[in-house]
Amino acid sequence: MIEVKGLTKFYGPHPAVMDVTFQVSEGEVVAFLGPNGAGKSTTMRVLTCYLPPTYGEVKVRGYDVMEDSLEVRRNIGYLPERIALYPEMRVRQYLDYVGRLQGLAGQALRSGIDRVIEQCGLEERAQAIIGTLSLGYRQRVGLAQALIHNPPVLILDEPTIGLDPNQIREVRELIKSLAGQHTVLLSTHILPEAQMTCQRVIIINRGRIVAEDTPEALTAQLRRAQTTLVRVRGGDDALAKQILDLPQVNNVRPGDEPETWIVDSELGAECQADVARLVVEKGLDLLELRPVEMSLEEVFRELTMTENIENSE
Amino acid sequence: MRNVATIMRRELFAYFVSPMAYVVIIFFLGVMSLLFALYIGSGRAEAQMVDLFHTMVFLLLMVAPVITMGLIAQERNLGTIEILLSKPVRDAEVALGKYLAAVVLLLIILALSFIYPLIMEKYGSPDWGEILVGYLGVFLAGAAFIAVGLFASSLMSNQIAAAVLAILILLFFWLVGWISYSVSQQLGDIVRHLSVFENIQDLERGIFDTKPLIFFLSICYYFIFLTVRSLEQRRA
Repeated sequence: MIEVKGLTKFYGPHPAVMDVTFQVSEGEVVAFLGPNGAGKSTTMRVLTCYLPPTYGEVKVRGYDVMEDSLEVRRNIGYLPERIALYPEMRVRQYLDYVGRLQGLAGQALRSGIDRVIEQCGLEERAQAIIGTLSLGYRQRVGLAQALIHNPPVLILDEPTIGLDPNQIREVRELIKSLAGQHTVLLSTHILPEAQMTCQRVIIINRGRIVAEDTPEALTAQLRRAQTTLVRVRGGDDALAKQILDLPQVNNVRPGDEPETWIVDSELGAECQADVARLVVEKGLDLLELRPVEMSLEEVFRELTMTENIENSE
Repeated sequence: MRNVATIMRRELFAYFVSPMAYVVIIFFLGVMSLLFALYIGSGRAEAQMVDLFHTMVFLLLMVAPVITMGLIAQERNLGTIEILLSKPVRDAEVALGKYLAAVVLLLIILALSFIYPLIMEKYGSPDWGEILVGYLGVFLAGAAFIAVGLFASSLMSNQIAAAVLAILILLFFWLVGWISYSVSQQLGDIVRHLSVFENIQDLERGIFDTKPLIFFLSICYYFIFLTVRSLEQRRA
């Protein structure tokens, strides 16, 4: 349904996306995972014909975004990252406007509006002025406008950003319910979100795809490594070097506070025991030894690192 | 064409749901009514509208940029342009729909100003042929100004900046005739053809000619074309 081959996009001299290639098949729900500025939105804007690609071939249902732009746009529903709606319009009126632009008319238009109003839980606010709506409701209107023509392909850029936990759950349920009838490409920077809603995850960093797999496989890949924080009174660089020499330790770097180090190692308790023994044997005081939850930043660093190692092998 | 109508309807709704349309109408008719009253009261009024038409064109020079300043700049500023341009709509349809909405507002303003010749009809016998030609001239000038304003709006994401740019371009077209007095004969002739001031004079007097007609229609066409190219650039 979606074919991206060698997509590169420059903003002036700066590459936002470099040589990105991926495919999404019919009925699949795929997450685009990456930190802010990784190139997710840029890729999506190319897919929705808002921005032209600098190089590369981008096709939706076989239509090229450059040559059959209007046909591509007929086949997708797009929820941009920055949901921008006309504040002076009423919800139903806005959906009518968008539906007409999507080529709906008459009975098809009316039933389309009724369908998305129900689908997105907008019944009570259908006559509200958009400018008075809360962020959560605006997000729903954004989703409703993307769904109005029942498009085969949905492109959702950060669909849960800025929502409260209940709304996030509702939106995720909605996305899950779309699977099967629609092909969905959504972007997120929240790893669990990708795991919950998607069958496949594409991880993008600094404009390049660094990993692509099922959520299960990616989680397993991430579990190959663990991170431990060590605090030692009187510890110095010499100690850090000795920790690095321990088996299973991949990397040691200073922590944010003085006398702390962050130790990256293989999975398992062995390494922590080794570190504790080493510190005690050297007659130093071990003040703290605890596993650190990997933040998203670290997940990406981990992934980019492992990719680099695999590439160099 | 359906998309043009859809976009035009939305823009007209936006005009009339905000104070914009009313402020512009009140400003235009307020100034015109004041001048009309002074003209009638001067004691040497004749049942003809040359001076009023001239004032109308000059007022439109300021009103048109205000009408058009938000058309595209506001979409860029809000970010709504991203959804709009990812719909199956041609850039030309977006430009035309927005252009026509402003032209409809111009027609409403000019229709309301028809009260002045009607008053003249009651107390005198104006030449309706002259008046209709004069109105055609004012309308053509306004439509051309709107095209210029639309283009300025497509370049900016700030409405005020768009209005200022439009006024600067329009002042150039208004005053360019002055250059003709300080350059060579041949260049002066060319420059005078570009002047709104020169082109509008005959129409205001009620003299119909195809030359100003072609001049104003060319400006409309050329600036709408530039607007489409500007939309195609897709500056984020």
